[in-house]
Amino acid sequence: MKFTIKKCVAWGGGLTTDQDWQEFAQKGKELSLEQDLPALKQMPAMQRRRLSPFAKLSLHCALSAAEDCLATVPSVFASRHGDLQKTSKLISDVAAKEVLSPTQFGLSVHNAVGGLFSIYTGNKAPLSAISAGEDTFFVAILDAVSKMNYNAYPQILLVYTETQVPEIYAQYVAQEEYSMSCALLIEPFQSASASECEEDKAIFELTLSNKEQGDKSAGDDENPHMQALDFLHFYYSGVEQAEVVSKRHTWQLKRTTC
Amino acid sequence: MNALSEEVKQLIIDTLDLEDIEPADIDYEDALFVDGLGLDSIDALELGVAIKKAYDVKIDNNSEDSKKHFYSVKTLCEFIAANRG
Repeated sequence: MKFTIKKCVAWGGGLTTDQDWQEFAQKGKELSLEQDLPALKQMPAMQRRRLSPFAKLSLHCALSAAEDCLATVPSVFASRHGDLQKTSKLISDVAAKEVLSPTQFGLSVHNAVGGLFSIYTGNKAPLSAISAGEDTFFVAILDAVSKMNYNAYPQILLVYTETQVPEIYAQYVAQEEYSMSCALLIEPFQSASASECEEDKAIFELTLSNKEQGDKSAGDDENPHMQALDFLHFYYSGVEQAEVVSKRHTWQLKRTTC
Repeated sequence: MNALSEEVKQLIIDTLDLEDIEPADIDYEDALFVDGLGLDSIDALELGVAIKKAYDVKIDNNSEDSKKHFYSVKTLCEFIAANRG
């Protein structure tokens, strides 16, 4: 499955700029657990007041990556856990027999941030919200590129976000998790003739192969890294290929220029 | 009534995460929703729950009466004073 990336915006683990991510991928700059949040000053205070850290991370990346097509771009919002801080608070309220906050409830559903994006930008294009375990990030790329190709969209926005799970769930998380968001503005790969080719434009290819049964070589555990971080490492390092292994799948990433 | 109105204003600010707004910024008689303070229908639900919790008053959803009670701080205070448990 081939595609191109018009723009990539990521924020998290203390890294906020293209330069930070390049240093992460090329010079081994370390991620930190600090959670500095984007200010989102462009959004009116009356809308911004309802945004959780999860929503702020998502919207910052989404609005920056798709700034030239905000009102029209179709989108895929992806997260493994969703805004679990919110969900967890609601579950505690249910257990304590408290009346649930309608706002918190409305904003805790998996497509809530997509909804906020759509309201703020006036975007009425198709939007979906997905979750697929540790493979969420690459499955979201599969979903986005398939949708874009099938519907002949000129581009599609992918927004992946995770925040650290509440303390009570931390024991069930095998990965080293950081609060982060990554948005990609994806465009179709067109096999143009060499003369039409934009110089240095990278073409990405993502290939999924199911691990063979009994294949122990890759290990039976979850990838210790978040898939999105593996991708960002690949994207910003400039290397030609990378392999990312999860509990169920092996993903191949390739980069070529036309 | 004055103490109650200050309480209600603070409740509105805290419940609805109105950053940068002080009780003094909320007019006693002006509209809370849409044209006035700019609150929306989700705020109405949220405020209904908060008032029910704080004052043990029951509010009918979507009735014309509720719309009148939620018009301003003044109408809310009158409603709470008349119905609180």
